[in-house]
Amino acid sequence: MASLRELQSRFAAALHGQPAELFEEIQGDGIDPAGRLQIYRNNARAMFEGALERTYPVLRQRVGDDYFRQLANSYRERHPSRNGDLHWVGRDFPAFVAATEADTGYAWLADLAALEWACEISLNAASEPPFGVESLAAIPGESIAGTKLKLQPSLVCVSSPFPILDVWQANQPGASGAAVDLDRGAQHVLIACGPEGLGLHAVENNAFEFIRALQEGASLGAAVDNSGLPLDELPGVLGTIFRAGLVTGVVAGTETE
Amino acid sequence: MSSILRSDPGRSVPAGAGIGLRSAHHDALVRERPAVGWIEAHTENYFHDGGPQVRALERAREFYPLSLHGVGLGLGSVDEIDRSHLARVRRAVDRFSPALISEHACWGSSGGKHFNDLLPLPYTDESVRHLARRIKVVQQELGRQILIENLSCYLSFRSSRLTEWEFLGAVVTESGCGLLLDVNNAYVNSVNVGLDARTFIDRIPVGSVQEIHLAGHARRVVGERELLLDDHGSTVSQPVWQLYEHAIRRHGAVPTLIEWDTDIPALSVLVGEADRAQRLLETVHGLAA
Repeated sequence: MASLRELQSRFAAALHGQPAELFEEIQGDGIDPAGRLQIYRNNARAMFEGALERTYPVLRQRVGDDYFRQLANSYRERHPSRNGDLHWVGRDFPAFVAATEADTGYAWLADLAALEWACEISLNAASEPPFGVESLAAIPGESIAGTKLKLQPSLVCVSSPFPILDVWQANQPGASGAAVDLDRGAQHVLIACGPEGLGLHAVENNAFEFIRALQEGASLGAAVDNSGLPLDELPGVLGTIFRAGLVTGVVAGTETE
Repeated sequence: MSSILRSDPGRSVPAGAGIGLRSAHHDALVRERPAVGWIEAHTENYFHDGGPQVRALERAREFYPLSLHGVGLGLGSVDEIDRSHLARVRRAVDRFSPALISEHACWGSSGGKHFNDLLPLPYTDESVRHLARRIKVVQQELGRQILIENLSCYLSFRSSRLTEWEFLGAVVTESGCGLLLDVNNAYVNSVNVGLDARTFIDRIPVGSVQEIHLAGHARRVVGERELLLDDHGSTVSQPVWQLYEHAIRRHGAVPTLIEWDTDIPALSVLVGEADRAQRLLETVHGLAA
């Protein structure tokens, strides 16, 4: 009699397409064991595909059901679920799509996948009470450059040489689904989730790099230096991120910073 | 018997009918506040730090007693128990204070690969010992008793030496867990693997059943035979209602949940099914409406 370990190992192999050793363990009762096992194989594949479909609805819409299923099956062979919580199965999908579509005319699909994964991360992140812009006004002028801003945990920054936000928006429920001119240029997207739900906004490259630097812990001065954000644009960008509720903490710098 | 007994930090689940909360009904539930006794949520759907899902359960929790029903621990897996998953279960329990916590008599991973499905165990002494040991680990971590649900099966193993009721009874005795009796699963198993569903209901330990699940199933022809798929995608079938009545006569007025996971209909359809279960409970046990 097979031990529990052996039985589970044979069952797992059977789910991956090598059923022979498991057949002798199954009570057929008038049904071919392969038919019984097929139900479990279908379930496991459907659970995995279903999780990917929920995370990547726009990608699925763009490539069609058949190709999406083909991608999902290949992905599952290379990246089987490693977690009892299905929410994580899509984590490596953008990199997988990038490798699959490299050197084709569809490299933008990987960036679209990255945007959808970012939405998934943002949708499930904590939300903290936002700070108003007056919290910055209270800081002495000489300390501003060294001041650091804490940003919403749900903020995710995604950049692409393709207009991925336009593609995403054109494929939302109720949108036209019209093809987007992929030569329209790069888009730098901020994704955050607040009480009203998910919000996605494209910003200019310098502003994007500035915000990303803040997110990584840079002071305002260092973030300006690193991003190349023109100083005259700084008040506008700060106003935008405060108004959007993205700032959740202000740590005043010191004169020496 | 374990020393971990029925601690109940949340509002208790009444001995009436409730519904499984699915994200499609988050808004409708809070807006319509249907007269159901309690709600149940899948634990893994509320693991995250925040976001709309978590906020929706926090809102629903204000109005209804809650049960958390796990689908991902794979308690019967020979793989090491996933401590990070268990820690997330604990965090969800601390956050939402469920009155009941449940999982399944199943396994789900081998060699680190997860199938995210509820896979069947052979009914052997080894399985009893293994599953009971793991249930005790979970109960220790959570500091309270959990309920274990009988599984729907599409096959059985030649190596099984115990009946399903003997298996579950032994797990209850050895681990101190309670049982979540899924009546639809018992019926599905009667067709799929020849379980005597009435005997099953009669022989699982009286006093251990603290929750009942009801759901719909689908039919699928496999070879020359018809099997039932436990797809939770339709109303409860008549034979399952009959078995349910038998179950509540045997096990008492037990909190009863309507589950629906595929082809999810309007909230009112679930509430209608819950009403039917409530009426049966009232008829059999003379409960006040």
